[in-house]
Amino acid sequence: MIKHHPKFELLQSYVNGELPASLAIGISIHADMCPECQHSIAQLTEQVAEHSFEEAPVRLDDLKSDSFTSFSDDIAEDDLFESMISNITFNDDADVVTEALKREVVFRDKTYELPTALSRIELGKAANIGKLSRSRLQLNEDEIHSSLLHINPGGGVPAHTHKGFELTVLLDGSFTDSRGEYNKGDFILLDGTFTHNPVSQNGCLCYTVANDALHFTQGINKLLNPIGSFIY
Amino acid sequence: MVVEQTKLPTGVSHAKSNGMNENIDHTQLSEWLNQVADKRCKIAFTHLFKFFAPKIQRIARSKFPNEAQSHEVVQETMSNVWRKAHLFDANKGAATTWVYTVMRNVTFDLLRKVKSNREDNLSDDIWPIAEGAVTEDQAYEDHLESNQLLRVIDALPEAQQQVVKGFYLMEMSQEQLANHLNLPLGTIKSRLRLALAKLKVQLGEEND
Ligand SMILES: [Zn+2]
Repeated sequence: MIKHHPKFELLQSYVNGELPASLAIGISIHADMCPECQHSIAQLTEQVAEHSFEEAPVRLDDLKSDSFTSFSDDIAEDDLFESMISNITFNDDADVVTEALKREVVFRDKTYELPTALSRIELGKAANIGKLSRSRLQLNEDEIHSSLLHINPGGGVPAHTHKGFELTVLLDGSFTDSRGEYNKGDFILLDGTFTHNPVSQNGCLCYTVANDALHFTQGINKLLNPIGSFIY
Repeated sequence: MVVEQTKLPTGVSHAKSNGMNENIDHTQLSEWLNQVADKRCKIAFTHLFKFFAPKIQRIARSKFPNEAQSHEVVQETMSNVWRKAHLFDANKGAATTWVYTVMRNVTFDLLRKVKSNREDNLSDDIWPIAEGAVTEDQAYEDHLESNQLLRVIDALPEAQQQVVKGFYLMEMSQEQLANHLNLPLGTIKSRLRLALAKLKVQLGEEND
């Protein structure tokens, strides 16, 4: 059962489209598995939509007249809008939609179906250390790194600390750390620096996002100390 | 320090969401959207355009530094409304909610293009505008292409592979690679150039 959810403020930013792609993807994946958050997101979206389109109330009856005077006071803009309308409606075709493509990944001979939010993102080749495998997701968000992290049964991430934040969304399986057990669908966002040592008895696949403040200064040390930079 | 996750209160009251706004005639908007979907009705679309476009323009203007970009948001959003109106389902929510979703997605993709220089248009995967469906596109090919690319990289001579992998897969700079491999910067640069030329030829050949 899912026990860990995004905070309300985070859901709000998600609905507003204000989060970096990596975090928006994390929430999308969680909401896919969490009816509770799905419900909150639907309500928030309805509210923000109302709010966005209610200002400067326009009476619909005015719009039905043929004149464009209610458009705006700006003649140039009226022209622009009118040409947009004719450009857009020039072609009658509607978009064809198909079933969402299901993309699969394989980690150590185990096949996983990826959530829709990840279905088109380029994946780096998996790097393996011991029972860990990591594939970088090519989102191009500077210091924010997103990855798929796979832990083989009995594996774990050696104790580590972070500056900045660290998000883990469990796509499959479970793991435990000193604070308890985490299961499929859990959304675990940790701020600040702290130490933890997650261990997965039966194996798991996670979507992870982190902005490691040390990223740029570490330079070549990252290679000499593979574990530290390997995960995030 | 650990900042604990706050669990969402299950009983949050959303007083406003149930009472629809009196300034917006939701029934009328839904009707227009359905006319666009069913009959490709340009008059209904013009009504929708007149209602939404100035508001979209104002919202976009607050998110983008220049006017051209905010016009792009209006153009793209309303164009999606025209082409995807059949995905709107009045039983699932208000027309304003649906158009908002379309606008938010267009804005997100454009902001990402401006900030991260990525034209991957991820928004419809993150916030699906129709349940269980995606717009047909090149998605899968991109994925295949990246697998193909990795295969081709693996076929390069070891020395070039090292440089390409370090630079593209491990995100090291050319200077870092020079230090790491204990080679002059010029050698790194020429190896990278050689490797890229080879990759281009190989990928070109495979694509034909
Ligand atoms: Zn949730």
